[in-house]
Amino acid sequence: MMDTSDLSHHIHSRYNAELEGIRTGVLQMGGFVEQQLQNGVKAIVNGDSRLGEEVGRQDHKVNSMEVSIDEDCSRILATRAPTASDLRLIVAVIKTITDLERIGDETEKLGHAASRLSNSDRTADRYRELKHIGELVADMVHGALDAFARLDTEAALSVARRDRVIDEEYEAIQRQCITFMMEDPRAIRRTLDILSLARALERVGDHAKNICEYVVYMVLGKDIRHLSIEDVERQISAARASKQADQG
Amino acid sequence: MSRPAWQYLLGIVSGLLVALAIGWIIDRPGLCTSLYLAAIVAWQARNLIRFENWLRLRSILRPPNMRGLWGETVERANRLYQRKRFHKRRALMLLRELRRMTSAMPDGTILLGPTREILWFNPTAAQWLGLRRKLDYGIRIDNLIRQPDFVEYVVNGGKGPGPRVHMPNLGDRWFAFNLVTTSARDLQLLIVRDVTSEARLESMRRDFVANASHELRSPLTVVRGYLDTLAEDSTLDETWREPVREMQRQSERMHNIVSDLLELSRLEAGRGEAETEPIDVAGLLALMRREALSRPDRPAKFDVHLESDALLLGAESELHSIFQNLITNAVKYTPPEGTVSVRYWTDGRGSHVAVSDTGIGIPAAHIPRLTERFYRVDAGRSRKLGGSGLGLAIVKHALQRHGAQLEITSEEGKGSSFTCHFPPARVQLRESPVAGVA
Repeated sequence: MMDTSDLSHHIHSRYNAELEGIRTGVLQMGGFVEQQLQNGVKAIVNGDSRLGEEVGRQDHKVNSMEVSIDEDCSRILATRAPTASDLRLIVAVIKTITDLERIGDETEKLGHAASRLSNSDRTADRYRELKHIGELVADMVHGALDAFARLDTEAALSVARRDRVIDEEYEAIQRQCITFMMEDPRAIRRTLDILSLARALERVGDHAKNICEYVVYMVLGKDIRHLSIEDVERQISAARASKQADQG
Repeated sequence: MSRPAWQYLLGIVSGLLVALAIGWIIDRPGLCTSLYLAAIVAWQARNLIRFENWLRLRSILRPPNMRGLWGETVERANRLYQRKRFHKRRALMLLRELRRMTSAMPDGTILLGPTREILWFNPTAAQWLGLRRKLDYGIRIDNLIRQPDFVEYVVNGGKGPGPRVHMPNLGDRWFAFNLVTTSARDLQLLIVRDVTSEARLESMRRDFVANASHELRSPLTVVRGYLDTLAEDSTLDETWREPVREMQRQSERMHNIVSDLLELSRLEAGRGEAETEPIDVAGLLALMRREALSRPDRPAKFDVHLESDALLLGAESELHSIFQNLITNAVKYTPPEGTVSVRYWTDGRGSHVAVSDTGIGIPAAHIPRLTERFYRVDAGRSRKLGGSGLGLAIVKHALQRHGAQLEITSEEGKGSSFTCHFPPARVQLRESPVAGVA
């Protein structure tokens, strides 16, 4: 892949190994967060309170991973004074782990809620809407981390674009919940729970989108936050063309 | 030098002599010699050009037809070239065959380099794991497959059993991985197997057992309730007394089996390792000693030797059921005049709990199969004593969840000893030693 060439081009092989180690650390943390998210969604959808408790218990691991990667990054910044693509890598990593940690926090909410919700007398089909959004969000996090591993800007953009679908899904759940509440005021408490969980999942989608943006920044050096997707695509094709011209 | 080389030199020298002789005769030796040498050079140049031309285009041209040493040289070069072409073709063919074979293999195969980067994979692996040909070469496998179990397995170089990994993003499938170290240095082979149907079947079996035992429990409770009332009814006909008591015993046994089945399925459903609360084993064992001594069938001597006060990191309910089952077994199979002793100690290899008895013992052939569900040494003996046949299976599962091992030694007629070995990672030493707990 052409984009990896200037990230893996180093005379100092130890420095190179350190950078590669940080990338691997981020992806390991990502893998753990992904599993937490999947378990959290599964716990809610199946009303599995044991699994939910476990998800809640494991969150501290995500936090300690974040702290240790953060330390590694500061050490490299201080001792190696990275420039250009290496600097972008470090900056992107520092931002990515923050978002991963937030995903972990939202997931912890799912876990706690699952251990609570399963005690109430809720029928299984009420969870179906959360199941769909949960799968969409888990897919998105997976795609974002894949794009990070492959330094694949195209995949990153297509994953970022999926955030719209999740927002729409969230709105649909919101409308549905409002209908529930109007129909049966006794269900308000439980419906509010569903709403807050859907909200948590929607936030996870936003964090995944942020990770995609950092991937683009890391590879192409373009900050695409707060831009519309069309603008971003135009900018990226320009950046890619100039890069190819440099190489050719 | 070879014969053709000698002949070649001889030819040139004799040609030179002839040229000199002719020059002598016509009285122009210098001119004649120069002409001869010029002719030689021209001939050599022509041959060299033809040779080089053929070398360059050897795959399409036939070798030039030359005589003498040049002919010999061309011949040898041609032979070398043909041999090399043959070997290359064969190697290519073998390689193609090999690729075709690995592609046709039902298992996924991934070749990994020294830092676990992907060097090659077959189409099956690509399809299952969503890898992309060429584009993903050079990326670390644990960056693309990030499930914590899998990462731990490959980072440790494939020690221990290969993990089963659930991939919800790739068609909701289960894969089993196996890392094989190849004879080539630093290269590793990752074999991927699709175990989705096995995993589904297993979870179906687990669910079935759990549901069935759960459903059996409520009717059983009703039956036991009525039997209890009946047994205490003083107006009951004397002929019915014994049958009712027998029914009571059997329903009690059935209740035990059902609750053991539930306990077992709960242990199996528990994911991965048991939790790590610090548990005071010495206190737990002292408590269980008191319980055992209050049993009507207790043996004459019941000793507890607590040589350590280290805490174990584990789940209290599971540790309780491990020791409970071992002690119950020991008491059950020991005659009233026998001895049961429990020992707890800690050393460099972790903490250990041993439950020994001077009971009837177990024939050696049965020991490896003791922890199987419903396995009985002989049909009569454990059923008579009211066991469910699941006690040791529960012990095994609970120990596994604590990373611990069960060691069984026994001598027929003399007694048996069951020892649990807990690894050091599960042991927490106390800051200040507390003397004599029991």
